[in-house]
Amino acid sequence: MTQQTAILKKPSGAAQKQGAPASVGAARFFTIAGRAIMWIFLLVVGALTLFPILMTIVGSLMTNSELMSGGNILPKTWQFHNYADAWQQSNFARYTWNSLFISIVSMVGTLLVAAAAAYVVDRRSFPGKSLYVGLQASTMFISMGAIVLRPQFDLMVAVGLNSSLWGVILILMSAHASTFFILLGFFKSIPRELDEAAMIDGSGFIRSFYRIILPLLAPGLGVSGLFAFRHAWNEYILPLVFTMTDPKLQTLTVGLANLRYGSSAAMQTNLMMAGACLSILPMLIVYALANKSFMQATAGSVKG
Amino acid sequence: MTRWTRLWENSLLLFPSIALTLALGIYPLLWVLRYMFYDYPGYGQEMFVGLDNFRRLLRDSAFWASVRNTFVFAGGKLLITIPLSLILAVMLNGKLRGRHFMRAVFFMPTVISTAVISVVFYLIFNSYNGMVNQLLMKLGLLGGPFEWLGPDHAMMTVVIAAAWGAVGNYMLLFIAGLQSIPQDLYESASIDGAGPAQRFWRITVPMLGPVMQIIIMLAIIASFKGYESIMVMTEGGPIGRTDVMYLYLYKLLFPLATSGTPADQQFGYGSAVGFATALIVGAITLLYYWLSRKMNKVY
Repeated sequence: MTQQTAILKKPSGAAQKQGAPASVGAARFFTIAGRAIMWIFLLVVGALTLFPILMTIVGSLMTNSELMSGGNILPKTWQFHNYADAWQQSNFARYTWNSLFISIVSMVGTLLVAAAAAYVVDRRSFPGKSLYVGLQASTMFISMGAIVLRPQFDLMVAVGLNSSLWGVILILMSAHASTFFILLGFFKSIPRELDEAAMIDGSGFIRSFYRIILPLLAPGLGVSGLFAFRHAWNEYILPLVFTMTDPKLQTLTVGLANLRYGSSAAMQTNLMMAGACLSILPMLIVYALANKSFMQATAGSVKG
Repeated sequence: MTRWTRLWENSLLLFPSIALTLALGIYPLLWVLRYMFYDYPGYGQEMFVGLDNFRRLLRDSAFWASVRNTFVFAGGKLLITIPLSLILAVMLNGKLRGRHFMRAVFFMPTVISTAVISVVFYLIFNSYNGMVNQLLMKLGLLGGPFEWLGPDHAMMTVVIAAAWGAVGNYMLLFIAGLQSIPQDLYESASIDGAGPAQRFWRITVPMLGPVMQIIIMLAIIASFKGYESIMVMTEGGPIGRTDVMYLYLYKLLFPLATSGTPADQQFGYGSAVGFATALIVGAITLLYYWLSRKMNKVY
């Protein structure tokens, strides 16, 4: 058997040796051609990815008639006052403030609620602990869609928060399960000796939470805070439902989407593009500064 | 430290989380499980109707049309998203120059609001003065305006918009999976004479199996659940061509937020629809998990 295979292998090995110089040249050609095809592919997909964003920026700097007639690709004169118009006439100043308010408050709230819970779960054992963790995990997977918004809304009516942004904030905070699990992972890297030592020195359990744990948890809070902020800032359906009766409370997403129904004679597409830019730009700036954190945290969700 | 202090401290720190989860996470689920047996228009008397809502559901052709649309939408989105993100991941996992920049570009859509970019898509895909048609006509690729959001092509357009927002996310997850494959496997395969294609099919694909199984599952759940972009771009129209399950459900609950009337508001029936959609998505997920069980076995 072994002899046979050895014999069979011989000629092919010889052929390889003979063809060696030609195949090296061919291989080089194929790597260069392959690389070129790869770059063309990457650049085409990249261009398609950037296209809507670039269109938004360009469109926000055109006049409305320029945008409608489609005469040119770049604006003839850059209409920076579109932003001022959107900011004042189309109420984007108010929308921006509302978006900032719910995003910042719900981010801080989510972080505190989740960090406190993760602290107890990681450092202590208590009856019903696995039940609690299971409950948190299950809230991430059961999805009945918008239907749960109705009882949530009714609860907010009952406590008088239905026409305020606090209702939106509380509902956003209630979805803190993913933050909880991210922070739980970060707790594993904080040595128990640190808070135990502090407790021996007389610091209580709760006191060491905010004196020792929270500062050490900063990287975890930063990453999950980024996600909580993005979630709240981009949320559409929740604020839409809560601001139906009170347009003054609309966020950027809701205010912008409602402009589609344009009550005035013609839809002012250029102002809508300017509004879209106003709501996209803060996220893009945060992303430009922290894209590594965004990507690491996203990637971490399948690694763990 | 006494037992009571411990209990007090634990409860104090856990209370906000438990209270929020019970009130806004669990109670709504129980509410749905109750009201799916009731007739309740949101005001006045509620009436127990047994399984009537489910009988109606079986005969509701608009609902089943939305189920069919959901499968087309989710299937189309997955067919674009998964292969494209895997190709990008394999390309950007190597030692390519500029890979970090390209990854950041492809991942960018995930930080942008779905609702906002859907408004942008709604504007640029407009058939008469949208920028996409203008551009394609100028380049000579289109003779006349193409009805991107018309009855025949609206589904394709919302799929494109949804895929646009999703590819970068799965690309990144695939890269994370690729990086967990030990490099020496590739090295020893190269020494044994395996070419790039062989290395891809014999090492990358099987080793990526378990991670890929999870990623595709996440993608399936997300594509069945997503309706925000459709709501903004078409509201399920024209003539119901892009109406997906979760959007159909939404319109039963909040008809005024779309172009409905208060008479369309039906919480009892909506609960039954919500329960049924959750079951359908759950069943698809389980079916997928069972069908893909081989991916979990690394050779």
